[in-house]
Amino acid sequence: MELRRLRVVLFLMMGGLFLLGGSLFSLQVERRHEFEQSLHRQSMRRVRLPATRGRIFDRNDVCLADNQPCYNLAFYLEEIRAPGRWQHTVDEVNARLKKLTGIIGRRPDISEQDIWLHIRKRLPLPLVAWRQLDPAALARLAESTMDMGGVDIYIEPVRRYPRNGLAGHLMGYVGRAEFTDDDLEGFQYYLSEMEGKAGLERVFNNVMAGAAGGRLVRINASGLKHAESRDKEPQPGEDLVLALDSRIQALAEEALRDVPGAVVVLDPSNGDVLALASSPTFNPNQFVPFLSAAMWDAQNKDPARPLVNRAVAEVYPPGSVFKPVTALAALNSGRCGPDYTHDCPGYFMIGAHPLKCWNPNGHGRVNMRKALEQSCNAYFAAVGLQCGYEAIEEMARQVGLGKKTGIDIDNEAAGLVPGQAWKKKMWKDDWRPGDTCNVSIGQGALTVTPIQMAVVAAALANGGTVYRPRLVLGLRDRGGHFTTNYSPVAVRTLAVSPSMMTTVREGMHDVVMAPTGTGARARIAGVELAGKTGTAEFGAKEERRKHGWMLLFGPFDQPRYAVAMVVDEAVSGGSTVAPRLHDMMDALFNGDGKRADG
Amino acid sequence: MSEFLSNLRLLRRMNWLMLAVICALIAVGVLFIFSATQTREGAMTQLYQMQIKWAVAGLACYLVTTVMDYRKLRDVAWWFYVMAAILLVAVLFFGTRIYGARRWLMFLGVGVQPSELGKLAVIMAGASLLSPPAEKFARLPSMGWLFLLAGIPMLLVMKEPDLGSALVYVPVTLAMLYVAGARSRPLVLLVLSGVVLVTVVLAAVALPEKLGVTPERQDRFFRALRLSDYQRDRIEVFLQPGKDPMGAGWNKRQSEIAVGSGGLAGKGFLKGTQNILGFLPRTVAPTDFIFSVIAEETGFAGSVVVLGLYGILVVCGLYAAMVARDKLGRVLCVGIVTMIFTHVFVNMAMTIGLVPIVGIPLPLVSYGGTFMFVTLFALGLIQSVYVRRSGI
Repeated sequence: MELRRLRVVLFLMMGGLFLLGGSLFSLQVERRHEFEQSLHRQSMRRVRLPATRGRIFDRNDVCLADNQPCYNLAFYLEEIRAPGRWQHTVDEVNARLKKLTGIIGRRPDISEQDIWLHIRKRLPLPLVAWRQLDPAALARLAESTMDMGGVDIYIEPVRRYPRNGLAGHLMGYVGRAEFTDDDLEGFQYYLSEMEGKAGLERVFNNVMAGAAGGRLVRINASGLKHAESRDKEPQPGEDLVLALDSRIQALAEEALRDVPGAVVVLDPSNGDVLALASSPTFNPNQFVPFLSAAMWDAQNKDPARPLVNRAVAEVYPPGSVFKPVTALAALNSGRCGPDYTHDCPGYFMIGAHPLKCWNPNGHGRVNMRKALEQSCNAYFAAVGLQCGYEAIEEMARQVGLGKKTGIDIDNEAAGLVPGQAWKKKMWKDDWRPGDTCNVSIGQGALTVTPIQMAVVAAALANGGTVYRPRLVLGLRDRGGHFTTNYSPVAVRTLAVSPSMMTTVREGMHDVVMAPTGTGARARIAGVELAGKTGTAEFGAKEERRKHGWMLLFGPFDQPRYAVAMVVDEAVSGGSTVAPRLHDMMDALFNGDGKRADG
Repeated sequence: MSEFLSNLRLLRRMNWLMLAVICALIAVGVLFIFSATQTREGAMTQLYQMQIKWAVAGLACYLVTTVMDYRKLRDVAWWFYVMAAILLVAVLFFGTRIYGARRWLMFLGVGVQPSELGKLAVIMAGASLLSPPAEKFARLPSMGWLFLLAGIPMLLVMKEPDLGSALVYVPVTLAMLYVAGARSRPLVLLVLSGVVLVTVVLAAVALPEKLGVTPERQDRFFRALRLSDYQRDRIEVFLQPGKDPMGAGWNKRQSEIAVGSGGLAGKGFLKGTQNILGFLPRTVAPTDFIFSVIAEETGFAGSVVVLGLYGILVVCGLYAAMVARDKLGRVLCVGIVTMIFTHVFVNMAMTIGLVPIVGIPLPLVSYGGTFMFVTLFALGLIQSVYVRRSGI
């Protein structure tokens, strides 16, 4: 009996061992993948790695936006970890912070609260304690004898604009990236990344940002980093090559040095934006690595509105710089030829209301060329009534007014070309002859942006081709090869005959070149220029506030530059704007070692 | 003494396969204790060396025990039993408190676990009780004597508290009674009532709402059973695998991940990430959860080898019982084999989630001096029975 019972015991025990073997088979062979996945989930973390951001160059390869290393001091908690409760580790970090504060010479950028936040949220990543260490602090760190276990320099790329404020509005600025769920799909952690918030940085953010990569971090049970490996290399962003010429840009900004306003210089032969300046401007370096709330407030609440790019985002009444458009409309309508004359007594009567000409003594009897030279309001009011508003509205639209030019920059305004329908809707009123007269001289509800007027100047310069302003010539990869080229885009050719164009161009020639021309002060030695001044009233009538305008192109026969400039508060286009453009054009054509620093 | 020397030649009759298996298991243990402590600092990295010292001392004891005649146990078993009982009482008062339980007594700087000695004491005293000349007790009333014999240390161990170790007494006692020839019906009844009790406890933990039991009554029930909160937690996480993965369910879950992710061939020696990264709690990796480390690093292949070694050990032990020259040797062998088997089964089953987590070590492999020594002494007793087998 005893032997039989022993066999039963043996049988039961063998059964137990087989049960274990079977369970082990199920766990280790059949369900293996399930546990491998759990293992991966709990011990692997993917960190999103930012790509190198593309740079921005002008047409002559002058670098306008670059990346440079920013030296931060970071703590590596996996090396500092003290046994026991996390408070011990935090104490350890605090002790080091204290010692390092003496060496670095300023308080750390983090508080104890930040350390706890880091432990809870971003444990396997370095904890940055000081950002942007200066060379002196770095040198002191290198010489110090402190035990640097768990503390190391942590380099982060930051945006740098080597020419500081140059073309600040075009550059825009970068800020800390805000990620969408899609961006973070598959990542548990991310490093701070920059993202274009305004200007070209924003418009071309996608191409300049490149494609983020990833790093796999293996963490231990405490959540600290154990080891790491590259997972996917980031793809660097592409460089932007602008049509901009930084020498001309500098001259344009110089022309605006002490007044609010805007200057746009285009190449009339293809619409290239050679300069686009707005004043007051800002230095995008101030936004790096990020703008403090106080500074952001100051910039935003500044009554001078330095963040607004007046060249594209601000609308102005054009005043007399619209007259060449009225002239083209009139000529094209066939109702008044170049020899159409009007006798200006110093005003023009619309019904019972006089429309004042700027010269109270009157211009006498003037033809179209002379009226342009003298910018006679009475003449253009008469011409407007003669040809009818439809012709003017049509021409205004043909030259691209009332619609965004499509320049690759953010916040572009469309301006307004008023019409019958618009007035009905806005004012519940019919279009009246007075409205026609007002728009004919560039007043009334008509508004334009400086970039639009530069396109008009370019079209007048090149004989009638309206270009879409080309700000970006193309995209280049890190190896310097163009991956994308943006060709010039001619939006349309004005449906006017060469002789009509000649009439208007000759009038504009006289504006600058005739001794009595309103823009004579823009004249420079050795080059024939053509242009049109404007003085546009705005605000309440009794305040008598005026924008000063001037369009300019030259050389007259084969124009290389077409310019539009506006000054927010001016005496007049001829006296405020023309001298500034004189300086700019003189430096451009005749050289000026002192100011043209390109 | 001369008798001892003359007995030395008996060593030649030893079951060499069994000794080889023992040495192999000890070697596996030392290797994986080294692996389990590789990331630790200071004294913890020396655990494997400690284990080697204990193993050498244990093997020496093993050989001495083999040579000594097990029949002398009849004289010493009761003294041993009384000493173990005293130590079990002493540990409740003077024991070192670790994680809320008093399981250790310190003697001259060496930690001893009286509960391990208690198991051996019950086996030895039980074997003498169930074999001639005491056998006359071993009719029905002797069952009661044996239950008293096993019950005293069992209750003391429960008091520490160490429920896992205490439960080992149950199968050991039953197996000894069974092989000693006790009537089957009371034994079966006993086993059945045990099963019912376990079922009731599990149901009370898992299904209080469904059974219409209020939480207060549930609490009162557990207090009556002397089940502590952490024991309740362990049962709960066993019944509900997804429950509390960061708390009470952590060890079970991490152990299963370690074993499962080991796959067919394992991750390689010293390469078990669950252990290296500390997901497998560092305090128990070299002791109760050593099998998780082995299974992770050697995979199913390695697990089966370890399982096979224990299988051989069981077969050798029971073979010794079969060829034993007397009933004392037979019951002794059965008690020892059952003790070792119970440890192996419960330990492995808990690392793969088949039973709730109870802190009992894997014989010969887990780090731990007392148990290593006790196990080798017990195996030495089996050899002692074997070398004096009938037919000489």
